[in-house]
Amino acid sequence: MESKKKLELKPFFVERMKKILGKDFDFYLRSINEPIKNYIRCNTLKITPEELKLKLENKGWKIFQPFNNFPEIMLIKNKLAPGELGSSLEHVLGYYYVQDVASMMPVLALDPKPNEFVLDIASSPGSKTTQIAAKMQNKGTIIANDISLGRIKILASNLERCGVSNTIILRKDGGLLCDFFIENGSKFDKILFDAPCSGEGTLKSSDKTARIWNINTVKKMSKIQKRILRKAIRILKKDGVLVYSTCTHSPEENEEVINFVLNEFKNEIVLEEIKIPLRCRPGILNWENSFYSEEIIKTCRIYPQDNDSEGFFIAKIKKLK
Amino acid sequence: MSLKILNKEEKREIEKKLKEQFGIKKINGLVLMRGKERLFLFSGNLNEDKIKKIEEKVNVERVGIYFAKVVEDKLKLSLDGTQLFKSQITKNILEVNEEQMKEWMSGSDLFIKTGKKDFLVIKYKEDFLGCGKVSENKIRNFVPKNRRIKK
Repeated sequence: MESKKKLELKPFFVERMKKILGKDFDFYLRSINEPIKNYIRCNTLKITPEELKLKLENKGWKIFQPFNNFPEIMLIKNKLAPGELGSSLEHVLGYYYVQDVASMMPVLALDPKPNEFVLDIASSPGSKTTQIAAKMQNKGTIIANDISLGRIKILASNLERCGVSNTIILRKDGGLLCDFFIENGSKFDKILFDAPCSGEGTLKSSDKTARIWNINTVKKMSKIQKRILRKAIRILKKDGVLVYSTCTHSPEENEEVINFVLNEFKNEIVLEEIKIPLRCRPGILNWENSFYSEEIIKTCRIYPQDNDSEGFFIAKIKKLK
Repeated sequence: MSLKILNKEEKREIEKKLKEQFGIKKINGLVLMRGKERLFLFSGNLNEDKIKKIEEKVNVERVGIYFAKVVEDKLKLSLDGTQLFKSQITKNILEVNEEQMKEWMSGSDLFIKTGKKDFLVIKYKEDFLGCGKVSENKIRNFVPKNRRIKK
């Protein structure tokens, strides 16, 4: 196995993760110190999984498709040279997207269909937008938004590489964009809010969060997430579905945010069960003297030690009226 | 963003050029022009009025996918343009071998005499690799830097 430099974690972060995970903390610690697996997602807008598998096997790559129902998800089992995954002919032609398996789960939970009207509130760099477009077969419309011009350039480049033609890219603060659609009367069939977050789930692939982690960021992010999510729910159609996801473990950015909107939209929204092919642990119901709605048990915590993946949190909200 | 949604007549003019140059018969979706030369295809189901309403209040950075550029009254398909229309392209295709494909995808011109003129679509096996501009003894490369492979 490739070696990886041991992560130096902040003591308060460790203390919090021990509280969340209890006896599983040691397994978690071992997992985040192991290298990330090389997952790719076949871009079905350009090529079938069978055709891609054949092309990659002809290059000598060993391809494993771990889920029968999702043949587009592929794991490269052999060792690759640094940068090889992003510099192959198949990658530059947009036949696949390099994406961790956990990061593919929010879109599987959202389950977008052709001809729907879909909003991706914080869409850069485009991993999930390209996945949504593939599920929609480039039919229907995706509004892909981001606040940063720099990140939008990366988004646009990825959408182009993947042959995505049904997307309009907008640049606005997510909350203000929702305000615009509230005024304008537009409502969406599906919304993905893959929220900006403190990134605790990304430790397996990058040590950046270990270096910059700060409880103030967690609290600041939680406020931003609540502000945007409560507006996003208002632009969802009746029976529409919103998936809220983060790549972090902190309850303040996950269960607390969902609990906040469940209280604000009582009798208007419900949480739906999430069916994805990774091991999910239920959302936690109390954290630091706060007690959350029992419904939150339907949310999903994806941990590195359970799936050999990055960490994620997913909640699926259905609008009743 | 200076974005213009082409009307039926203007779209027909683009389709006519695509047919003449590459045999492409139909564009499914709206065609938009950015500036005076870059063409975008939008396959979504939001109509022109709705796009314009959004544009009044929000920064619209991109609509659809860039597929071609107008160059001296001809169309140069982008790398993704050749892939979008691959099932319709029947004319002006240059099939290359593996060595030429590697040269091309690394950004180099191909020194081949084709006897053709204007733009050719480069194809390796079943893969469409963009367009090149033909001159007397070479094909000029337009593969963008971020889409090149190392030799």
